Amino acid sequence: MSQRVDPNLMKELESYGVKKKDWNACFHCGNCTAVCPLTEQGSMFPRKGIRSMQMGLKDKLAAGVEPWLCYYCGDCSDTCPRDANPGEMMMALRRWLTSVYDWTGLSGKLYRSKPLHLAVVSFLFFAVLAVFFIFAKIPLLSDPANVQLNSFAPVHVIELADHIMLAVLSFFLLSNMLNMFIKVVIKDKSVKIPIHLYFKEVWLAIWNFFTQWSFRKCEGKLYWFAHLFLMLSYMAMFSLIVLFLGWFQTDTIHPITHPQRWIGYIITAGLIFGSLYFMIGRARKKDRKFKFSHHSDWIWLFLLFMIAITGILIHIFRINGMAHLTYYTYALHLAFEVPMVVTFVAFSKWSHLVYRPLAIFFANLKKSTLALQKNR
Amino acid sequence: MEEARIGIYVCWCGSNIAKMVDVEAVAEEMGKLPNVVVAKNYKYMCSDPGQDLIVSDIKEHKLNRVVVAACSPRMHEMTFRKALENAGINPYLFEMANIREHVSWVHTDRDKATKKSKSLITAAINRVLYHDPLDKRSVDIDPATLVLGGGIAGLAAALEIAGSGKQVYLIERSGALGGYAAEIDLLAPYMNSAAQVLDPLIEQVQNHKNIEIFLESKVTDISGYVGNFDAKIEKKGKEVEKKIGNIVVATGLKNFDPAVIDRYGYGKLPNVVTAMEFEKMLKIGKVETKTGKLPKNVAIIHCVGSRNPDYHEYCSRICCMNALKFANQARSILPEANIFDLYTDMRAFAKGCEELYTQTSRKDVLFLKFEKGDLPTVKKAAAGDDCDMVIDMHEALSGEDIEVPADMVILMTGTEAHDDAKDVAHLVGVSMCGNDFFIEKHPKLDPVATTTDGVYIVGNCVSPKDIPDSVSQAKAAAARILASISQGSVEVEVTTAEVNEDICCGCQTCIKVCPYTAIGYDEEKNVSIVNEALCKGCGTCGSACPTGAIRSKHFTDVQILSQIEGLMSLEV
Amino acid sequence: MSFEPTIVSFLCNWCSYTGADLAGTSRIKYASNVRIIRVMCSGRIEPTFVIKAFTEGADGVLICGCHPGDCHYHEGNYKCLRRYHLLQKYIQQLGIEKDRLRLEWISASEGKQFAELIDDMTETVRGLGPSKVKEVMTTYT
Repeated sequence: MSQRVDPNLMKELESYGVKKKDWNACFHCGNCTAVCPLTEQGSMFPRKGIRSMQMGLKDKLAAGVEPWLCYYCGDCSDTCPRDANPGEMMMALRRWLTSVYDWTGLSGKLYRSKPLHLAVVSFLFFAVLAVFFIFAKIPLLSDPANVQLNSFAPVHVIELADHIMLAVLSFFLLSNMLNMFIKVVIKDKSVKIPIHLYFKEVWLAIWNFFTQWSFRKCEGKLYWFAHLFLMLSYMAMFSLIVLFLGWFQTDTIHPITHPQRWIGYIITAGLIFGSLYFMIGRARKKDRKFKFSHHSDWIWLFLLFMIAITGILIHIFRINGMAHLTYYTYALHLAFEVPMVVTFVAFSKWSHLVYRPLAIFFANLKKSTLALQKNR
Repeated sequence: MEEARIGIYVCWCGSNIAKMVDVEAVAEEMGKLPNVVVAKNYKYMCSDPGQDLIVSDIKEHKLNRVVVAACSPRMHEMTFRKALENAGINPYLFEMANIREHVSWVHTDRDKATKKSKSLITAAINRVLYHDPLDKRSVDIDPATLVLGGGIAGLAAALEIAGSGKQVYLIERSGALGGYAAEIDLLAPYMNSAAQVLDPLIEQVQNHKNIEIFLESKVTDISGYVGNFDAKIEKKGKEVEKKIGNIVVATGLKNFDPAVIDRYGYGKLPNVVTAMEFEKMLKIGKVETKTGKLPKNVAIIHCVGSRNPDYHEYCSRICCMNALKFANQARSILPEANIFDLYTDMRAFAKGCEELYTQTSRKDVLFLKFEKGDLPTVKKAAAGDDCDMVIDMHEALSGEDIEVPADMVILMTGTEAHDDAKDVAHLVGVSMCGNDFFIEKHPKLDPVATTTDGVYIVGNCVSPKDIPDSVSQAKAAAARILASISQGSVEVEVTTAEVNEDICCGCQTCIKVCPYTAIGYDEEKNVSIVNEALCKGCGTCGSACPTGAIRSKHFTDVQILSQIEGLMSLEV
Repeated sequence: MSFEPTIVSFLCNWCSYTGADLAGTSRIKYASNVRIIRVMCSGRIEPTFVIKAFTEGADGVLICGCHPGDCHYHEGNYKCLRRYHLLQKYIQQLGIEKDRLRLEWISASEGKQFAELIDDMTETVRGLGPSKVKEVMTTYT
């Protein structure tokens, strides 16, 4: 079946961060593909992806996992003789793919409109504060020097809210993942993946998820470290809050040797270091990969940073017995946390946390299937 | 005949020859042959000291024949003939043995190469023994010039020649001057108006006192030779005769008819148009489909009839830039339309062309590449589709089979020679290549002259080319013609044929084989006579003559036969 | 030592001789058995020249001209072609194998083809063995 070309896709992609000057400039010399440390024999990435974008081959693009394999080292953009910024085009393609997998259409709306995204974030921010203002009782009777966070925001209430949010967002995220699986694997009639391979390859996918090993092929070890540290810290924080909030949010102040304390410090360090590293990079615009920023990048980093900062402030205020400041900061902390989770987990940048390992998983599945067929 | 005194010179050509041929041994052995007075070897015979060596030997040893064994005579025969002339002996008493291109550069066995060199030189010695001194000849030039074709090349040539005060007769078969340029709206790559370029040129030609224009006319016959042609011109049924000294052929091109390529649907799908038809739309400022709608999708297809072994294998050169021109014009007329450019290679070699490509690529034009052997196919879109036509193609850069929506398809038709190119060739006495384009005297070093002296070919009748190239050629031909007119006379070929009237039996076989009608017949004497001004010295008459009455000067029977003897006197 | 044939080759100045020059400038190697004679046009090549070459001891004769349509003198190569067909019949009557005489078109750009042609012709004639013409001529005259 031949596909209809559609030059209007490029116009759409412009709101996902592709510059018109860039996609018009590419004349397919293939330098980007030649220098890319992740290109493997047989795949013409990123050149072919750019070609599909130019030609507007939507179905082909939606079925491809290649953009997720890219970690944006920027080598391609550096060597591009026409300054077409292929790395940034790949980045934009990832944003577009996120919106393609999202069946609700919300993702595309957030990506295409900066005011809308800001409005949603602001709304949720103030909504959370309002909820606290209306419902939370500041424990006045108690000793002001004795911080009773669990009286201000009882663990079981927060945990319940967490779990409701987890359920709702998981539903969206999982359905989007299923959508991705359908587009990438089910609709691809060229390879029929045997079931046993799914079990074999899944371990590699998990390994990749936790180490981002293929990322290391790209240059810049600090970049890899900052990204991994940020990601692992985030994952740890996420699981502490969602699964072990009762252990994590206590009124008792544990000694510094207690895991609750030092795990908390490491996580905070990771979040602050990672978000600062990326924010400074994006602000300086010196490095190729940080040269262009979409509004979603900034909102994402800002919220992450604020979550970390408020998190550490809560801790400082708490151990110093500054009760009121602790409560207010806690409310702020959640006011940053909620819009981040709601707008990003299933609908924006956060989701690459699952799409990327899934893409690697699917790509490996297809590769192993082809290898099996060849050996036969 | 005085006794032959031959000088032999074996060139080393640095190490080019000396590496594979024992030049010293060759020279020594050749020196032992009869009539050889001097036999030397030298590093570079073509250098000034090398030539001086020949000159001084001729004087000192009273040499009257010279053989140089070196590179190809096509390279340095003229150099050494000049040396002989400088030494005061006739330049034709010289022969070259090619021991570089035909020996040292192509063989790997030094002994065999040395032996082969010896036999080639022996052959040259045998041949030069029979060389005759030949004298240069010249004929007067009539200052008037005939220009065939009133397109931009013809106009440029006519104006240049007339501007020097010489008479020009400009022949145009149609009723107007300007040729195809008159039908064009804008010119690639600078997008300037064709009319602004062409109109002043036509006006100057029309008002020039030295140019006589013949519209709706054709030349029916040309006889004579360089400097002295007679042309019969037929103008609206009346015949005029003109005397001219030179001829410029600028008969131009014809557009390829795309109806023969089924897959493009030309003639069947109403909105498939040729480049010239689209040009017409641009000229009247109305780019719309047959039903009067603005096209939402415009597709331009390159190489229609060009670079395709089924039609024309050559590249038509002008279509790529015209296609870009169309893309630009379509973009400004239809700012919202999708513009597709289906190309196979983008050829943007001329000045300003790569820049045009870069500019165009920034104007939301989607370039889609097809492979030469895998052409796109235009078909009617299915009912209910939002476009009129669909083009199926395999896109080479992505490797995908795609379909391109189109409401208007512009076929970039190639250029080809006129149907009557053969008649023109016959009329003026020039050759044609396999594509019916006229052949230059030398494709690189003499690109506007032909093997018929006094006949020049310019513009698209030689090969497809753009306006700057056509005008350059026209002006180059004009310069050549003006140079010969200002000389007043021109040197003609001396290695012509001549008839020994005592032996000629008057069978007229030679007249039938001569491609230049250079041989006439004297009824009174019952013999053939060669018009030396027309003869090119091909020698065909010489080999056809049953009695041996015709001698091809410098390629006589005895010269070649004795060369064969020399060649075979040594074993391989 | 195997038999080394001698091949006399007549080349027209404009296409074939230039093609042979191109083989040289391109440094394409070929058998050294060929001896080249330059004429202005293949139309100049008389049957006498070919017969002379055979009687002088040539084991093969190769004639090369411009491709049809490319003749510098319009149609000399066509005349050569006609003569060649007659000559082929004639030499066979003289007892000369037809493969010893060959006509090929070599353009100015076909240096490689020229080299291949020489190698091919040399092998063909080597296979035929030495020509008897010269021997016969010296015995009976």
